[in-house]
Amino acid sequence: MKKVSIYRPTTVDEAMQILTEHGTQASVYAGGTDLLIRLKNRLEQAPSFLVDIKKIDHLRYIKEDAQGGVEIGAATKISELAESKLLAEKYPMLVEAVNKISSPELRNASTIAGDLLQEVWCQYLRGGYSCWRNGGYLCYGAIGDNSYYHSAMGGRLCYAVYPGDAATALIPYDARAKLATPQGEKELLIEQLVPGDMQVDGKIQSHVVRHNEILTSVVIPPPRPAFKASFEKLRPRGVWDFAMASCAMGLELNGKTIEDARVVFGGISGKPYRETVVEAFLKGKTLNDDLGEQAVAIALANAAPLKYNATKIDMAKGLLASGIARLSA
Amino acid sequence: MQNIKALLLEPVGCLAEFPSAPFHEIAVRFFGRKGKASPSASRTYWHLLNLMEAAPLDAEQRAIAETMELEAVAQATLYEDVCPMLGELKSMGVSVSIATSLSRAAVREFINRNSLGDLLMGTCSRDDVGGVKSAPLVHALGSNPPEQAIFLADTVEGIKAARTAGVLPILMMNDPDEAQRLETHKPAGGVVSLHEIPDFIRLVAAQNQRG
Repeated sequence: MKKVSIYRPTTVDEAMQILTEHGTQASVYAGGTDLLIRLKNRLEQAPSFLVDIKKIDHLRYIKEDAQGGVEIGAATKISELAESKLLAEKYPMLVEAVNKISSPELRNASTIAGDLLQEVWCQYLRGGYSCWRNGGYLCYGAIGDNSYYHSAMGGRLCYAVYPGDAATALIPYDARAKLATPQGEKELLIEQLVPGDMQVDGKIQSHVVRHNEILTSVVIPPPRPAFKASFEKLRPRGVWDFAMASCAMGLELNGKTIEDARVVFGGISGKPYRETVVEAFLKGKTLNDDLGEQAVAIALANAAPLKYNATKIDMAKGLLASGIARLSA
Repeated sequence: MQNIKALLLEPVGCLAEFPSAPFHEIAVRFFGRKGKASPSASRTYWHLLNLMEAAPLDAEQRAIAETMELEAVAQATLYEDVCPMLGELKSMGVSVSIATSLSRAAVREFINRNSLGDLLMGTCSRDDVGGVKSAPLVHALGSNPPEQAIFLADTVEGIKAARTAGVLPILMMNDPDEAQRLETHKPAGGVVSLHEIPDFIRLVAAQNQRG
């Protein structure tokens, strides 16, 4: 394991100060299910200074806000989301999705912020190859085995897929992330938080959080009365694995008429991929069984699969059809 | 890697899809090459350059070869990401030059046909330097330090030419199987498409700024 120094601040401001002091050599440490593996594998990109935020109060909670929405503290465990009655009542699709994240053991350790901001799981990066995210200047996934962990929707230097499920499931709810920054608090939509393959502080990463910023909470707006949502995920095994493809869908209905739609694919792109073409197609349509076939026909038209991963697009389209079928039942 | 200030480009294979037949025909006619043309124009071209380097053509042969190269240029199809990339690099202040082992007439025709003149800082052909492979690269560098220049390559010979000139070979990885084979020759980096080059240069600059 790479040698590290660990700080244990007790406030967010103190944590930001330490992060600022050590620049990109430092990283926030909470659940550790991603970070500790990168350290164990001695990745060049792994930090040398860990800022353990577990001692900071008020980062681990799920609470209803005054408007009827819900705020989730950054250090809240995925298992706590999975078992939350409040979330199950207000956002059942989110609970379904987080129950499909990894294994029960890992859900007990990993946090919502960690899931949102996790590093990609490309086997070349994790195997210590000198790729774009690990001190090198080449994407091995683009030319090697790209059947699982790589984008079928094109890329920008790095072709790894964004691996998180929580972001994919939060986007249909128009959820936002709150960040503490040295300049004050800022709020971003989840899709703005993880736009994929960004150059931030001289590094390629899936999210826009700078080295001295801390994600403090996720805020989900109040549930809309006629909103129906579904989450589908395909993975090689029933537990543990990341998505080969996933699809989160949210439909706002007026009777059987779709007033508004959100369609987000996971596991196929460098970001949770919002399919706005299908969203526009669904608006104004009557929700029925035939709609799935029509939506599939126009979905993911700009796919750009690599040599071995065209099947991800077929899987994603299948999930779209089954999601619509589920919601129309 | 130091900040990148210059990009050197060989049109064959890196900027346009060329036919391999004209290059094969030159090899057959003047060097007695046997067999069928490779489907890869880059491989055929760089193999021809090996032959030309070993036994330079005389004046009459050069004239005939030039005619065949013009034929190849006429059939070449520019990749769609070339002009956007060159425009972006120009706005970033990166010096972009053609450094090619084609004849002067062929490269001029290539630039004119594809309206690339305004996007390039300079051009260097084999006729300008009296040599092929690394010779045009060294000349095209001008005052740019070689360690701050990159050369796009899609063949082993291209990687070697860059190394000989002291510039950084960057692999064009548009054919994954070929790229996997070429990666074993340890290029300094690789891109899947030309639109990644500006991002590449920006990332290196940001890394150096970070320290």
